[in-house]
Amino acid sequence: MSTILTSISPIWKVLLVGLVLGAGLPALFAFGIRASAGTVGPDGTTAAPEPAGRAIAAVSFVVVALVVVAAIVVLASTKAFLAKFGLS
Amino acid sequence: MMIRLMTELIILVLVVGTALAFDFTNGFHDTGNAMATSIATGALRPKVAVALSGVLNLVGAFLSVEVAKTVAKVVKIQYTKDVKDAAGKVIHHAGEPLPFFNAAGGHHLLITIVFAGLVGGIIWNLATWLLGLPSSSSHALFGGLIGAAVAGLGFSSGVDWTLVLSSIVIPAILSPIVALIIAAVGTWLVFRITNRTPEKAREKGFRWGQIGSASLVSLAHGTGDAQKTMGVIFLALVAHGSLDESGDIPIWVKISCAVAIALGTYIGGWRVIRTLGKGLVEISSPQGMAAESASAAVILTSSHLGLALSTTHVATGSILGTGVGKKSAKVRWNVAGRMAAGWLITLPIAAIVGAICWYIADLLKGPADGLIGILVVFAILVVVASMIYLKSRKAPVHADNVNAEWDDSAVAPQSDPTADRTSASV
Repeated sequence: MSTILTSISPIWKVLLVGLVLGAGLPALFAFGIRASAGTVGPDGTTAAPEPAGRAIAAVSFVVVALVVVAAIVVLASTKAFLAKFGLS
Repeated sequence: MMIRLMTELIILVLVVGTALAFDFTNGFHDTGNAMATSIATGALRPKVAVALSGVLNLVGAFLSVEVAKTVAKVVKIQYTKDVKDAAGKVIHHAGEPLPFFNAAGGHHLLITIVFAGLVGGIIWNLATWLLGLPSSSSHALFGGLIGAAVAGLGFSSGVDWTLVLSSIVIPAILSPIVALIIAAVGTWLVFRITNRTPEKAREKGFRWGQIGSASLVSLAHGTGDAQKTMGVIFLALVAHGSLDESGDIPIWVKISCAVAIALGTYIGGWRVIRTLGKGLVEISSPQGMAAESASAAVILTSSHLGLALSTTHVATGSILGTGVGKKSAKVRWNVAGRMAAGWLITLPIAAIVGAICWYIADLLKGPADGLIGILVVFAILVVVASMIYLKSRKAPVHADNVNAEWDDSAVAPQSDPTADRTSASV
């Protein structure tokens, strides 16, 4: 039984990290889309995006890209590889 | 002496070839996990999607620094970690065959188990592909090996059943649920955030996100799945005696495995792509991005934690989750149920096929170091594969009809525009 419990426990970490990265990053990306695309009012007319919208969008897209790149580096590299750059 | 060396070499070549064939089926069976949603929403043209996925699988196969020499820890054929003596000196390396290997006939026993396991995995992969069922290639391989190990070594001396439960069965049940929850939350958030964004801008914007997240899944697939075949070939080389177990995996093994999985991916398992992209949920590009992001996050995190999850189970859970997370979405639970049934029987059926193949190979071992038995099983594989291929031709799915309207009665679209089709169909 304990073996089974041990095998289940890491799944919580997967769920947590997954919610932060797997659901959080698309949400951040969605903010970028929202900021850059303008809005549809209740009457069906489209309002132009606010001037700051493009900047907000750019920031959110860049953050998404950086987090993805960072995640790949962390996941694809062994501890020995990271140690070369003083990371652990 | 000459003859014995020749037969051993022929057997090795057959086993390595079969391992690469498995790797190839692994590629085309799993293309849909990464690319089905991008193809369904039109974010990528079908041919471009499979080409991109193929290249990323190739890159992924080389990306991982450490290559596991242990094929499947559940099968008791190898040491799963370094064993040290009292002085701290390594006496058994991880990946080294267990002691039965050095008994009389041990080499052939090991190679027959690996071979029969591979054949079981390939046959199951092809059969489920014919039915358009996304099923786990890793489970097919593990199942084949488990069956062959039970047949060759005995029920409890061949397989670690507690490990089967904890490292295969339980993750298989939990991983689609976890992926489903994450994708549902992601989908809900994304639609919530963009509820006042014009439809066209939203659809267009998320296509880019979708391509990015699908690429990540392809990359993750290459890092995980190509390695399994590398491990199998390593084991075959050790069993043959042409490689020492403490040695590195030769570069030609890495290259050929990477190329085999990439080619398989590029061929595109259109039948499976169609079921995943059109059969479960009608997908829009925000849902596609939410699904692929959830899949990528779950696969990469779990592999980092040393949990071997099936890409297929995760991807299917994610796609279902995007249907759950969007209010108006219609989820075809009957299709999902068929898939779940397929997952349940993947391991046992592959195991039965693996065991049968082992018995046939053993029964017809013959005088020439078991060559006849191996050849007969190989012939069976070729015949079964050809029959499945011919059957698939009767109702082909290809790049041009993969997105046709879903019809619950069959995998392939009923009105098939074969007359004017341009591309090869797999």
